[in-house]
Amino acid sequence: MRLYVDSAKCSGCNACRVACSLDLFGENNPKKAALVIAPRFPAPGVYEVKVCTQCGDCAAVCPTEAIKLNDKGAYYVDFAECNLCEACVPECPEGVMFVRNELANTAWKCDLCGDCVSVCGTSALWIAEKEPVAV
Amino acid sequence: MNGYGGQILRVNLTTGKITKEATPPDVVRDFIGGRGFGAYFLFKEIPRGADPLGAANKLIISSGPLSGLMIPGAGKCDFTTKSPLTGGYASASMGGHFTAEIKYAGLDSIILEGISPKPVYLFIDDDKVELRDAADLWGKGTIAVEKHFKEKLGEEFQVAVIGPGGENGVSYACINHDFGRQAGRGGVGTVMGVKKVKAIVIHGTKSISVADVAAYRKAGMALYKACKDAEGLKDWTRYGTTIVTSWCDEVGALPTRNFSAGSFEGGKGLYGQTMREKIVITDKGCFGCPSPCGKYSRSKKYNINVEGPEYETIGLMGSNLGIDDIEAVAQANLLCDDLGIDTISAGNAIGWAMECYEKGILTKKDTDGLELKFGNIEATFELIEKIARREGFGALLADGVKRASQKVGQGSEKFAIHVKGMEQSAYATHNATAMLLAYMTCDVGAHHNRSWAITYDLQVGRDKVVPEKVARVIWLQNFRPMFDVLGACRLQWVELGIDRDLYCPALEAITGVHRTWEDLEKVGARIWNLTRLYWARENEGFGRQWDMPSPRFYEEAPKTGATKGQITRFEDVNTLLDMYYEQRGWTTDGLPAPATLEQLGLAELIT
Amino acid sequence: MSATLRPSGALRSYIGGKDEIAVEAGHTVRETLSALNIPPEVIALVVVNEQQQSKDYVIQEGDVVRVLAVIGGG
Repeated sequence: MRLYVDSAKCSGCNACRVACSLDLFGENNPKKAALVIAPRFPAPGVYEVKVCTQCGDCAAVCPTEAIKLNDKGAYYVDFAECNLCEACVPECPEGVMFVRNELANTAWKCDLCGDCVSVCGTSALWIAEKEPVAV
Repeated sequence: MNGYGGQILRVNLTTGKITKEATPPDVVRDFIGGRGFGAYFLFKEIPRGADPLGAANKLIISSGPLSGLMIPGAGKCDFTTKSPLTGGYASASMGGHFTAEIKYAGLDSIILEGISPKPVYLFIDDDKVELRDAADLWGKGTIAVEKHFKEKLGEEFQVAVIGPGGENGVSYACINHDFGRQAGRGGVGTVMGVKKVKAIVIHGTKSISVADVAAYRKAGMALYKACKDAEGLKDWTRYGTTIVTSWCDEVGALPTRNFSAGSFEGGKGLYGQTMREKIVITDKGCFGCPSPCGKYSRSKKYNINVEGPEYETIGLMGSNLGIDDIEAVAQANLLCDDLGIDTISAGNAIGWAMECYEKGILTKKDTDGLELKFGNIEATFELIEKIARREGFGALLADGVKRASQKVGQGSEKFAIHVKGMEQSAYATHNATAMLLAYMTCDVGAHHNRSWAITYDLQVGRDKVVPEKVARVIWLQNFRPMFDVLGACRLQWVELGIDRDLYCPALEAITGVHRTWEDLEKVGARIWNLTRLYWARENEGFGRQWDMPSPRFYEEAPKTGATKGQITRFEDVNTLLDMYYEQRGWTTDGLPAPATLEQLGLAELIT
Repeated sequence: MSATLRPSGALRSYIGGKDEIAVEAGHTVRETLSALNIPPEVIALVVVNEQQQSKDYVIQEGDVVRVLAVIGGG
């Protein structure tokens, strides 16, 4: 399973990112969310959203094996085991692997909690089976 | 303090001194936040008789306890000041993301005081607060300046910026944000311009603490579920406020040719469906909003992108000017946004000018050669520019329709459509007595946001003048603006019809304070009376005469449209006020009685 | 012979608090509303099978007619 997004439906409201920071850190701080909303204004006048596709590239490169699989089959960061080496960050094809020292003492990523889907009023986000990647 | 940023930021622009103080708990208790803070600081700190354009006036910018949290529409910011347009209370509510960033920076209010010797912008990055030189930005349009800051500082910075309108002291200059949201009415941008503050840029990385995280998450999720389950969500999201354009035309509420009628023969060119098909590209929302009303649009005809036009702009720059082309309205909208003037006041003032021209009261000699006939799109665009730059004929309109009509005279005061000097917003009220009363008694002047009651008029009987209508208007005035106090949008309740009781457990879980809607409406009544006192304190002889509507609504029945031949009777205007003052606990001349002030806990504050 | 009328939340009090009500085909939306004592003039939007229509649209069998009122306003 993984998170999907249709950027064309995104209104830029950021409810998903508050919900995310609440799930990951118990905090109201969308800067600590595991998805990115990039506004493109005044032109072309759209939002571009990047989400974790659960590809596993981050887990493969993590030297402390801090990126594990949870009960949803999603990769998540075990905060206690992350040593902030940042090896995962450039590996992520979507740019949704986060390290910000001024905000947290750990890397963080999407754990597929689904709260973002619950608060998205335009149904831009949904969770479904991972589609097979063309070889 | 749970739910709050915790500090008030004061910026003395005259001396350059920047200070912070703890957000006072007793002000939180009695006024809660947002617009409540604005009203409190307005009354307490701006000295009696202060010149709105002088150093003693202040601009009070406030977030609320729901702002920046996982609550639908948690994106509202209040801007309060003494109005350069009306000389009374001004409060404008701005959506977008600015209010959330105020909280993340650990603040609840930003108070701008004094006047800067040279153009500056206020830079806030968590605890780093500085006034920086804005010489390079002064004179530039709001779109380019916001783009500049986003590129230079990053997308996480939120920007509030004035345009040439604010710099040139147009009485209804606005403040712009997020490429399409405004603190629009009453000249809040004028005050920012007088203080020589070009922009405020803000970034915060703190988290907002809440009293009970689990209960808050549950209550927030319940609110989002209610919004997503609402029957009209898809329709509202598709059209935003343009959902009412065709309906207003049908019921005679669409202002047409300077409010001379309520229906427009060219209306179809402005309807929501037409607009959606022709120009809309993105549904754009404020912080936390599941029902984005913003319609970000692209006009191929004018080669522009703009957020809007929204219903108000469609009414005042479209039908009110006899213009039936939604793309022309979009261009007028962009001009106003970029130059930084309120589309409502500008459209209303231009409509007045067009009627003067059509009647021969103004000629080309007066209008710098502009042929100000209804429907003249190019003249409208040129006039917007002139207003923003106070150039030639634009300078007359830049002072607002009340002052302009007093200067011009020749009977033009009779069709200056305003209350208390604020231009009426986009609902024609020839025969809709609750809505007329709403405009007459609105606390900032003729604005519709406090008490929107047109459907109620239709349900109960449009011309009825009964105590129940007055009670309805008062209830709406005590209730609706409480969303501006809480720092969240009212449209989820207003448009989606979600159960307002869902907000109470959320507010309690966030702040730790139990409040029912009855408690909140009492705060609403308290603020309402305080700002009424403010008007009286600042305006000699303030009373019933100030609540009078434009004579158009009791003297000139429309000759066309859904309200053809219908007009309110003058006696009814006074009867409405009699009932209103009585139910409010005010004197027969419209001033809060001592017993009312006592009951609302205001007796001490006002001495 | 029937279709379905689904009024927006604020209008449900007109149909006893229910989400939807069966209505006869062959009448206009306007006539159908009047018959239910819903004043047609309070309806801002009519959507039939997810297509916007006017109040003079004649309801066909099987149509799902949603009507939205602007109770709260702007």
